[in-house]
Amino acid sequence: MRLFKLTFTTIFRKKAWAICLFAVLVLPFALPMISSVTEKPVLMQPARIQAAWGTLFVCTMVWGFFAAASLGEANTKSGTGEYFRTTGLSATRQLLEIWLALFAYIVPLALIATGICLFAAMPADPKEQAMWWTLNFQYLTLFLLVFAPLLVLATALASRFGGITGFGVTLLITIYGLYGVSYLDNMLKLEANSALQALWLYSPQYRFADLTQRLYFKTGALSNEVFTNMLLYFTAILAVNTGLSRLCFRPSANA
Amino acid sequence: MSALTPSIRLGTGLAIGYTSPLAKFEQPVELRGGTHFLLARNGRGKSTLLRTIAGSLRKLSGDFSTEGFMQYLPEDMRFDPELTPKSIFKALLHKSRHEAAFALADQIELDVHKMYGRLSTGNRRKTALIMAENSVATDRGNILLLDEPFSGLDAFARETFEEMWSTTTDNVLRLVSCHPDYDSMQMPSVLLIEGNRISHHSEDGQKWSSLKALLN
Repeated sequence: MRLFKLTFTTIFRKKAWAICLFAVLVLPFALPMISSVTEKPVLMQPARIQAAWGTLFVCTMVWGFFAAASLGEANTKSGTGEYFRTTGLSATRQLLEIWLALFAYIVPLALIATGICLFAAMPADPKEQAMWWTLNFQYLTLFLLVFAPLLVLATALASRFGGITGFGVTLLITIYGLYGVSYLDNMLKLEANSALQALWLYSPQYRFADLTQRLYFKTGALSNEVFTNMLLYFTAILAVNTGLSRLCFRPSANA
Repeated sequence: MSALTPSIRLGTGLAIGYTSPLAKFEQPVELRGGTHFLLARNGRGKSTLLRTIAGSLRKLSGDFSTEGFMQYLPEDMRFDPELTPKSIFKALLHKSRHEAAFALADQIELDVHKMYGRLSTGNRRKTALIMAENSVATDRGNILLLDEPFSGLDAFARETFEEMWSTTTDNVLRLVSCHPDYDSMQMPSVLLIEGNRISHHSEDGQKWSSLKALLN
């Protein structure tokens, strides 16, 4: 786990994680203060939920992808990837260790956002509290399942095509999966188009993993069947994404 | 052969290069524990040979085999500028080797608290060398392929490493590419790339002055 330790230390020394930690801890409490909550106190909890998950998404998509891409690029260009490969650390293992080091920073951020929803935005009604725990657990699971392979993708793309490509392409795929597919869906409802229909069908529907609206409107936890189907769907995307990432990843410039 | 004895066997006809051959072995060569130098003029294939042995590059023809825990230290290897040598050693070395690494750093005047990005070229080389030397496995044979480790290094640090290498010859095989800068430099075992031919020159008391003419 030498590369894991080196990568973990590198991320720690760069300190950008501290800004994300601060944002995830403070913004869910600070942002509602500058919203209409002051006039309608009942909106405090929904605003806090939205701020907590919104901040987490932004931190992961901006800092997480950027860090993943710069780590992937540096591993290839600095010669460390080649060094580790000659010591017997395979390309797959290198990709895994770099990802794991970064994921070790993302998981606590996700746990904090979930914790804020659980302990600072818990519904007062005891009947809703059990549902709240389940829904938050589901959201946390889906969030990690969606972003884990995207971080791998950013690292892998950056190792072959450079940091800007690794960051940019991954960010675009994520934004498309979260928001773009909904617009495409609406377009297809207005006018049928077989090419766009096929594109939509094979697009990653990351929007299904965004359960903020369910928390916001307290519409309840996902049924076991729906949640299992979503787990299977995102696990399949994870498998495809990880496979493509491994094919793309290279530990040294002449590999 | 004991598991502690490292070796590199380079067969006749082993050719190195990217698309077309840069150089080729015309005689088989076997290297054992100890320090071996790799000499050639610029662009003749020193790094290519080291990369081929390390498995980073494909050989063009022929065969070779290695026995031992391999470490190839590229000439341009660098760490994140915001890391310090201390944090690099702590991340990459086993706990039991930390003290030895810090002591060596102190001996060759490497400030382990200074950020890597602010270190001079020589001090960056020292960091990588200390890391590689202290990553040597004690329970098996080791192969250290060092690509121009002396570039930018001061004479004192260079002598310190050469002394250290002379005391650890049993389970470590070092193949060191370099451009010697003083005639009396002892080189008892040398791989020489002359033109497109790679040959092994081994003789007790062999010095750079006697090999220099072969490169011209």
